Amino acid sequence: MSNSHSDTIPLRPSNSQSDIDEIRSLIDDSVHSGPAVVLPARHPATTPPPSSSPFISSNIPPPPPVSSSSSLQKLQSVPAAPPPPPPVGNSSSIVANGFGPPPNTLTEPVLDTVKRDLWRIVSNLKLVVFPNPFREDPGKALRDWDLWGPFFFIVFLGVALSWSASVKKSQVFAVAFALLAAGAVILTLNVLLLGGHIIFFQSLSLLGYCLFPLDVGALICMLKDNVVAKVIIVCLALAWSSWAAYPFMSSAVNPNRKALALYPVLLMYLSVGFLIIAID
Amino acid sequence: MDESSYWNLPSSHLLGSVPAVVNEESEASYGRRGGGVRGYQTLGPPSEGFEQQSQNNWKGVFSISSYTQYFDVDTDVVVNRLISSFYPAGGDFFNKIGANPDLYGLIWITTTLVFMLAAFGNCATYLIQKRTDRTTTWSFDVGYVNAAACGIYGYSLVVPVAFYFLLRYLGSNASLIRFWCMWGYSLSIFIPTAFLLLIPVEILRWIIILVAGTASSCFVTLNLTSYIGGSNDLRMMMIAAFLLQMALAIFIKVWFFP
Repeated sequence: MSNSHSDTIPLRPSNSQSDIDEIRSLIDDSVHSGPAVVLPARHPATTPPPSSSPFISSNIPPPPPVSSSSSLQKLQSVPAAPPPPPPVGNSSSIVANGFGPPPNTLTEPVLDTVKRDLWRIVSNLKLVVFPNPFREDPGKALRDWDLWGPFFFIVFLGVALSWSASVKKSQVFAVAFALLAAGAVILTLNVLLLGGHIIFFQSLSLLGYCLFPLDVGALICMLKDNVVAKVIIVCLALAWSSWAAYPFMSSAVNPNRKALALYPVLLMYLSVGFLIIAID
Repeated sequence: MDESSYWNLPSSHLLGSVPAVVNEESEASYGRRGGGVRGYQTLGPPSEGFEQQSQNNWKGVFSISSYTQYFDVDTDVVVNRLISSFYPAGGDFFNKIGANPDLYGLIWITTTLVFMLAAFGNCATYLIQKRTDRTTTWSFDVGYVNAAACGIYGYSLVVPVAFYFLLRYLGSNASLIRFWCMWGYSLSIFIPTAFLLLIPVEILRWIIILVAGTASSCFVTLNLTSYIGGSNDLRMMMIAAFLLQMALAIFIKVWFFP
């Protein structure tokens, strides 16, 4: 009986907020120190919150004096021990926090949010459009997908095309936007229908990022008006876009159906390239 | 319980292969269960499909897995069907499709054709104008894209549906997916035609489009005849199919390559 009684006594005074804090701190620590490090269980009161926010700090009970020295040691060891997180690590530490709305991003300045999103766009761009065969984690761009980048690129391409058009500007923008947005959705559906394994939003994100070379091509064509130069630039941009999109699309389907999955991608980029050349 | 014990046998994959010929009546009996699941080509678990269909016919409409059966083709199969659509003689397209009609051909052939018509239509218009008037400058008319999309998608979606309902009403067997498949592949001949129509010689353009239109119409008519059975009552249908395809060819010439 005493055994069962001791089983039900919690080892420490539990209230829901401290449990949440403990779990959150464990997640943050595991993210900061990498998956190989197993951290000892901590008293919730000794862990500092990731950033100062009023309602968490007010609920933490004052640390008992016994563990204050150990808490100091732990505080000092946390910044020194883990390896420096990768540049995207800042965003992933917030993304990994899945318990309720993360108070860090709600109360941070808007500039921080914008900078973080811009940084994610740049890093995804580097991973998708400049694929490095020796990079350590080929699937990183797939996991950190976002839709801001594709949105910017599609709108930029539509604006560039409608800027260069002399008549029916709004119709040109509408055609370009509809072609790219609906095209990305339809291409993803095509892969899924052919029995491939791809996640819908990851694929949308990748196809949007692969538009970046065509954006650059459209910008150059806007500035330079020679037809032959346009054709050459657009062909180069097209080849680069297709080369960037090829590994993701071809690995998603059965090898017998690789051409069936890739042909529509080529068709879409070809039609966008033709629009860039033809709009004057 | 009896049914499920049949399906759970390890030889359940043989169940669909007993009849040698794909029969329309048996397909209609499968269709009575709500459509969408055919015993002849089930590779997945058939029991789940039947239970699902009997519960709620609309459950499968919004899930992709109920449409993957129409895209169950490999690259060489698609290329084979494409090449066979270039030769109008021999109305054996429906036999070639067999139990595996695909909508991949319909969707991507029509989309390619829309792009080709818009692109080459603009180029050809510019070239013809340049021959008559040296001072014309290149202008890209985006309206060609809209017209091409409406025309080609509308034709390839509506005409097979119309024929399907008409033939069902008149009592003969018809399958909408096969009609869509056949009409989709029949449009593939217009893709190289659009490329050839760039030649700015008017008489040559008319010859090219008439040859292509005739080939496409013959393809449609011969296959339809061999599929339906070719009785006298349905001769009007065949003539209508022929004329519709020719009308599409002439519309392409007149609108995009004036």
